Amino acid sequence: MPVPDDRKQQPKTTADAKIPGAYEGETVTRRRFMTASAHTAGGIATAAFTLPALGMAFGPVFEKEQVRWEAVGPTEDFPDDTYIPRTITLSPGIGEVGKSTVYVRRYNDTIDSEVKDEYNDYVAITSRCMHLGCPVRYVEASERFICPCHGGVYDREGKVSGGPPVRPLDRFYTRVRDGIVEVGPRYSLNSELRRFSPRDPGQAIDGVGQYLYPSRPSIRKLPGT
Amino acid sequence: MAKLPTTSGTRPRGTRAETTEAPATAPQRNKLQETGVSTIDWLDERTSLSAGARWMMFRKIPKGTNWFYTLGSATMFAFLSQAVTGVFLAMYYDPSATRAYESVRFLTNEVFLGEFVRGMHKWGSTVMVILIFLHMARTFFFGAYKYPRELNWVIGVVLLILTLAMSFTGYLLPFDQRSYWATTVGVAINGTGPLVGPYLSDFLRAGPEFGATTLARFYAIHMLLLPGIIAAMIGAHLYLVARLGTTAPPWIRAESSPELREDSK
Amino acid sequence: MNQLEKEAYLREYSLLKSKGKPFFPYAVAKDGWMAVIVMVTIILMSLTLGAELGPKVDPTTTTYVPRPEWYFFFLFEVLRIIKPPSLVPLAAIGVPSLCMILLFLLPFYDRSPERRPERRPIAMAAAFLTIAAMAFLTYEGANAGSPNQIDMEPPPSVMAGGEEAIRAFEAGKQVVAQSGCLACHKIGENGNTGPGPDLSEIGGRLPRQAIARTLVNPTAPMPPYVDLPDEKRDNLVEFLAQLK
Repeated sequence: MPVPDDRKQQPKTTADAKIPGAYEGETVTRRRFMTASAHTAGGIATAAFTLPALGMAFGPVFEKEQVRWEAVGPTEDFPDDTYIPRTITLSPGIGEVGKSTVYVRRYNDTIDSEVKDEYNDYVAITSRCMHLGCPVRYVEASERFICPCHGGVYDREGKVSGGPPVRPLDRFYTRVRDGIVEVGPRYSLNSELRRFSPRDPGQAIDGVGQYLYPSRPSIRKLPGT
Repeated sequence: MAKLPTTSGTRPRGTRAETTEAPATAPQRNKLQETGVSTIDWLDERTSLSAGARWMMFRKIPKGTNWFYTLGSATMFAFLSQAVTGVFLAMYYDPSATRAYESVRFLTNEVFLGEFVRGMHKWGSTVMVILIFLHMARTFFFGAYKYPRELNWVIGVVLLILTLAMSFTGYLLPFDQRSYWATTVGVAINGTGPLVGPYLSDFLRAGPEFGATTLARFYAIHMLLLPGIIAAMIGAHLYLVARLGTTAPPWIRAESSPELREDSK
Repeated sequence: MNQLEKEAYLREYSLLKSKGKPFFPYAVAKDGWMAVIVMVTIILMSLTLGAELGPKVDPTTTTYVPRPEWYFFFLFEVLRIIKPPSLVPLAAIGVPSLCMILLFLLPFYDRSPERRPERRPIAMAAAFLTIAAMAFLTYEGANAGSPNQIDMEPPPSVMAGGEEAIRAFEAGKQVVAQSGCLACHKIGENGNTGPGPDLSEIGGRLPRQAIARTLVNPTAPMPPYVDLPDEKRDNLVEFLAQLK
């Protein structure tokens, strides 16, 4: 039953309200009060189970991933003119399913245009296509990373050289400890190979893209890089 | 509804029953029948369900209704088949990233009728997708989405989207190569939505990478959340069908009323 | 639809309905037989096609060629043919969402009272265009090969050249598949359209020496194939020269 809208002439005192049988101090009819309390109680009770459940489901969106470094082999394993594929663990605890392949080689002044710093003595490139995440393959003869799904092609620095991918192949931070190359967290690059917090495939970073696809709280680039 | 055949005084069935029965068993049969009638009467006295059943089952359907009108119920039947086979597949399935593939392999190769039931579920999904598209095509070509059935069309489109969401989430569960990569691409597609995309794909994966709980998340969505919503939506869809009536094919006209034909051209 | 048309429809419909038959058993019988047909189809498919289980998940693969279930082929093909990176969000989520919204709102923008298909030319044209487009995209998507594989019969000119020519053709074909040529070039039905030119008839356009020279010293962005072993390069040149 629709309740007539009388909010504008809301009475200030019991006398103004003209409610038959009202006690002194009452300005709201009992029916109106009970309607409001039915809605409120129902809302609170529903929210009481909905909100915690939703909070649990959305929790992982705001949980920060641990920074982990993983050894992939001694420095002499990696030449500077071609890539060596290595397997690393992205999500620990689930065996094979949490692993991924990275392509590793030594930084090469004649090939690389990424600014040199402490984290890229070795270049580690992901095997996920930046179009929609299919597994790319490095074909040595053509010096290209080739995606089998929708026609993405990358040059040997990981920059897009054809097809629909929206940005260069993501990379991983690397460092050398006691002659062993270690691979750390992932980061994304724009087309000038400037570093950004890691994005998912399909999310452009150039120009307005970095605002359309904001970085997520769950995974960030290392501070100061 | 079951009460109806028992009010058999005017029906040929009652007479046939009397003539074909051997005399010796007749009293026993009558007693059985009486028990059935009284059980249903007892239920009906307390629920008044027979009125609703009569309303649903004995509503009239217009002249010209043909085989194309069975596509909707066929889709619902495919859904029922999916629901039942799915429940029994779930008895053997283990939604953990390390054991899912092995449990499906066991279910397929070792369990009695395992491959058959899994095959029914797998191909049932294909059949259901085809049927829902055919049902939609019928509705479109017959103009059945027009007044007064607009809301039923909207519910139907929601059901179509939910069905595609079912096939997307179900895809991951066998946990073979195709499952994994299809899901990777599917989640990335979600992620290309501006602003909300990145958070949406984190939500679907339960984190920035495919992780320990991703599979369980898809499993829960596939077998609890979506089927519940679909069942509720089918209920609303059916209620509206019964309430508004099924359309006649557009070329059928009520012949006895030439004056009506004038104002609808 | 205005009020008059609504009332006219309701009157017409109630007349039609009053002359109809009860849902049970007339429609239910048909529905029941249809359900039987559906179940027979599903069971036959399950028995003949089985429940194939692919290889176990391996996220470290670099050779697997992902392909979706057949009813998503049209979407897959849309993602393949929309090449400019700036249009990726449009192809991936824009077009499908738009289609769904259009479908969703159909009864609200198509408000004419006309129901007969032959008197709704725009709706019918749109429907048939959609069906044709989806059929075409599904077909194309189903036939999209991997860039690491080439599926091609020797052309008649090679067949005429005898066994020697066919062997050269097959050897060169292998090199093409392994060397990533198809990532940038189209050869017959195989490979991607661009960034490189279509090589389907390259042998007719370029002499053998020119092909060999281009492989070693190409124009950017094509990489020089200097590191390719001589034998493989010869096979490759021979194969390309045969494409006429």
